[in-house]
Amino acid sequence: MTELSFRPVETAQDVEKTSRPSLSYWQDAWLRLVANKRAMTSLFVIIFLILFAYLGPLVWRADHTEQHLDKTSQAPWVNRNAILIAEEAEWEDVVVADPTGTHQAPMSVEVIGEARTTSVGLKWDAVPNAAGYRIYRHILEPKAGFPLGLPIGETEDRTHVSFQDRMDIQQKTYWYSVAAVDEDGKDFEEFTSVEVRPRLYITVGEALRLGYITDASKVEPGDTVLLDWHPLGTDYLGRDMLARLMKGAQVSLSIGIVAPLLFIIIGILIGSVAGFFGGAVDSALMRFTDFVIALPFLLFMILFMVWFGIEAGGSGIPAMVVALVLLSWPGVARLVRGEVLQIREHGYVEASRLLGGSNSWLIGRHMIPNTMGVVLVSFTFAVPATIFTEAFLSFIGMGVVPPTPSWGAMCNDGIRTMEKTPHELLFPALFISITVLAFNLLGDGLRDALDARLRSRE
Amino acid sequence: MTANSLLQVSNLHVEFTTYGGIVHAVRGADFHVERGETLAIVGESGCGKSVAVQSVLGLIPIPPGRITQGEAILDGHQILGHQTIEGKDIRGNRVGMIFQDPMTSLNPTMTIGNQIAEPLKLHRKMSGAQAKKRAIELLEMTKIPEAAKRASQYPFEFSGGMLQRAMIAMAIACEPDLLIADEPTTALDVTIQAQILELIKDLQQEVGMGLILITHDLGVVAGVADRVVVMYAGEILESGTADEIFFAPSHPYTLGLLSAMPTNRRDVVQTLMPIPGSPPDLFSPPEGCGYAARCPQAMEACVANRPTQFTVSDSHFSKCWLHHEACEHRVLEVQQV
Amino acid sequence: MPRYIGMRLLQGIFTVWFIATATFWVMHSIPGDPLESEKAMSPEIRANLEAKYGLDKNEFIQYWIFLGNMVRGDFGWSFEHENRRVNDIIAEQFPVSATLGILAIVFAGLGGVLWGALTALYRNKWPDVLIIILVILGISVPSFVFATVGQLGIVTLNKIAGIDVPVAGWGTVWHMLIPALVLGLGTMAFLTRLMRTSMLEIVNADYIRTARSKGVPIAQIFSRHQLRNAILPVLTVLGPSIAGITTGGFVVENVFGIPGLGKYFVTAVQQSDYGVIMGTTVFYGAFLVLMVIIVDLLYAVVDPRVRLNK
Repeated sequence: MTELSFRPVETAQDVEKTSRPSLSYWQDAWLRLVANKRAMTSLFVIIFLILFAYLGPLVWRADHTEQHLDKTSQAPWVNRNAILIAEEAEWEDVVVADPTGTHQAPMSVEVIGEARTTSVGLKWDAVPNAAGYRIYRHILEPKAGFPLGLPIGETEDRTHVSFQDRMDIQQKTYWYSVAAVDEDGKDFEEFTSVEVRPRLYITVGEALRLGYITDASKVEPGDTVLLDWHPLGTDYLGRDMLARLMKGAQVSLSIGIVAPLLFIIIGILIGSVAGFFGGAVDSALMRFTDFVIALPFLLFMILFMVWFGIEAGGSGIPAMVVALVLLSWPGVARLVRGEVLQIREHGYVEASRLLGGSNSWLIGRHMIPNTMGVVLVSFTFAVPATIFTEAFLSFIGMGVVPPTPSWGAMCNDGIRTMEKTPHELLFPALFISITVLAFNLLGDGLRDALDARLRSRE
Repeated sequence: MTANSLLQVSNLHVEFTTYGGIVHAVRGADFHVERGETLAIVGESGCGKSVAVQSVLGLIPIPPGRITQGEAILDGHQILGHQTIEGKDIRGNRVGMIFQDPMTSLNPTMTIGNQIAEPLKLHRKMSGAQAKKRAIELLEMTKIPEAAKRASQYPFEFSGGMLQRAMIAMAIACEPDLLIADEPTTALDVTIQAQILELIKDLQQEVGMGLILITHDLGVVAGVADRVVVMYAGEILESGTADEIFFAPSHPYTLGLLSAMPTNRRDVVQTLMPIPGSPPDLFSPPEGCGYAARCPQAMEACVANRPTQFTVSDSHFSKCWLHHEACEHRVLEVQQV
Repeated sequence: MPRYIGMRLLQGIFTVWFIATATFWVMHSIPGDPLESEKAMSPEIRANLEAKYGLDKNEFIQYWIFLGNMVRGDFGWSFEHENRRVNDIIAEQFPVSATLGILAIVFAGLGGVLWGALTALYRNKWPDVLIIILVILGISVPSFVFATVGQLGIVTLNKIAGIDVPVAGWGTVWHMLIPALVLGLGTMAFLTRLMRTSMLEIVNADYIRTARSKGVPIAQIFSRHQLRNAILPVLTVLGPSIAGITTGGFVVENVFGIPGLGKYFVTAVQQSDYGVIMGTTVFYGAFLVLMVIIVDLLYAVVDPRVRLNK
């Protein structure tokens, strides 16, 4: 054992010291929030979404209302290098000799030349006893017993065995089916199909019209031009998805933020008055609050939307905000009242009153600041709930009025084309989900950061 | 210390992993309790007294808790990490336990009777009716009026004192060899405290069980304990019979505790002496004596070296360098403070 | 307890009165003509119709008649489909919606309790993390997306497995399962989260430690002490959840083409069928109030503190 020294030492008699600097409530909460990775990520996502909605349109200047019927439901990853061709050559019908044999459908169907988005030429061998042919186009592989797709043309003679399709051809896989028809115009049971994937072409005239080239003499057929870029594709009317999503973000976020702000202010007013004065004022206000809470929320949202009616050209946004405010304040009012009832009993309020604080001073200086924590948390949770409500109403057609885009309305549009072009539903749904998620996680973080119980426990 | 103590705990170390680091909650505790004997473990809150006892019975949550060293022998059997000895449950059967806050320590959605009957059904294999009957008897033993009616009530219908009686009834239901009372009176009114202590004492004699009384209240200890163990910052600083601890304390900390305790003796003019400072940070316990920083008699050795255990008498031990033969200072006496 | 039931019922009646009143005045202050339609109407027909719907009378008299009808359980006439009583529409469509809703709430409730309990048992291990991710998805993804994805899922499943689960419509159990599941998902996620918090709070409760000190085996602590107490807060939100599921049904019924009251209501709103809107709103309102009361009473049965104090 080492040498022990039994010399007395001075022990500090004042060992008590504060171990960390004093922080205000909000500073402390803010530090906690910053330490919460999920909440901070969410905060950045929310800031990004707000920038996306309000600064995005300054960067991405595409018009969200402009329709392009020549490129509807275009996927974002589609090829944009179009090959220029001169005007489509005159179509020459293929005529063959009268066929022999017993086959019921063409032995084969072939594409004449190259399949282009400007035109697809087909030819097949003739079928005996046919009065003519009917040509179908489908985006799925045809099966016997199912519709063959869109009938795009007919020929009137069994020796005329070719057809040119120039109808809105896009860069995707098509199945062309040819079935022989009898004298009454009825299809034979058998048919023959060919799978075609047209390449992207554009005629010089069209390119001039759309402004891709300015001078026809400077280009030659075979050159490529880069078509308009739609980073997130287009919708069923050929409108640019990115621009619509930005505009939709403005609509969804402004409803989602403004409506909660307004109903929270009303809720604070009613709740603090009820809690502070108590007695008859309190019970009258709270009875009314109970009634409004009992109203079936979405039914009355719909009812109010009908009530306000939408004048022509209106967007339906103000109507929705007012309806939301009318129906949503009671939750906050109840919350604030409960808090105020507790705060009222605290010593510092009594002290302030004894020092001559007036009612409005007490409410404004003590009650409201001390309820701000719970109010802020309920605000962060109210935003996603409101965005959901907006999306829901727009989805069932009771929300914002077309052509005003909102994420919910865009989802509603996207559902029609979901199987073929899922991006039209996917993107707005993704934006709704991310926004709702971010606000929820931020709310969780705020609640943890502001929770006084947690604060004293550590 | 006899070879066949009812419970013998040696060199117990318990740690907790938290976000702030590892808390060394118990740092080498030794204590034992005999059959029929009352051992009091006293110390400030947070000194590790509850953790020491609860970890022996496997009642601390693992993780974050962890027993790193030590052993606990109940009736000749190692019980650390065991739920049973010789095929029989330890908890609720051989050892009963009473907790601090009766208001939260009982299941709010189960009747008192059912909660008392639970260990009887589990350990005594009683039928529902038998257990119920026995539960009512137990409530009567703990002097709860209208026991039959009370048995079918829920905790929120009981007062604090009544709930603690019910807790006691539950803890002694299987006539355990050892009863552990963890701050049994702290949450109760002063008038009720005495009744509850008296009840525990009576039942102890009736059943003949050993009793470990965990408390921070020396006043509670004085009337009840046979022997006392003083704990501070996760270690046991002094142990001895109640008389030795109260009248001949041999550790400055015990002395400090006694000086901070009011007496009801009119003949003594007493000034209460608080112990300055606060206990050490158990995330990084001091190298030397845990009490050195607050000790009025601290020496250089106390800061640098952890004291070993010194024998004051056959039954009285102290971990303080003041008892070292080379040290010329001695622990102050009660009157000198 | 009987007093408590009586009180809650009385409150409920007042609430339904408020709902009916609000509905009546909102609908009657809508600008425009409720009888407006594309075809021209002769003055006589118009007068007849006004008499039939009671539109010729003073609004306050209309209000009293309306209230009287409601008390008798008469929810009025459809303006769009001649000679269709709202009662008949409800009788026809509501059972479908109710079946769907009950299935969904059973899914949501059982699922929420089960998943929530699982996450708490496996805290911070992979089942917990997985379920939490799913819960976050469930809370953040709108119901109509679930509905469409669910439908797409059936289509794909049919294609792959070569089976024939109906994609839309109503009739067999197969028609019900997927829509009910989709309808219950959001609520299930919400309840799972609540159950998890509640379970984790209770794991550390003093009475769990007491049970352990009594030597109660872990399985029994879980079932008898932890689960029952953890379910209580879940039960309190079950009432409001029913409202959520009812309105969520609007979307699911529309997407899956299920002939329920929700689909009918949305159609009625689009057609401005004032009679149906008014009748169904009051009916739904009354139904929801009743559900909340039932859940409250159920809660009182489970929690002795509520049962015995009131």
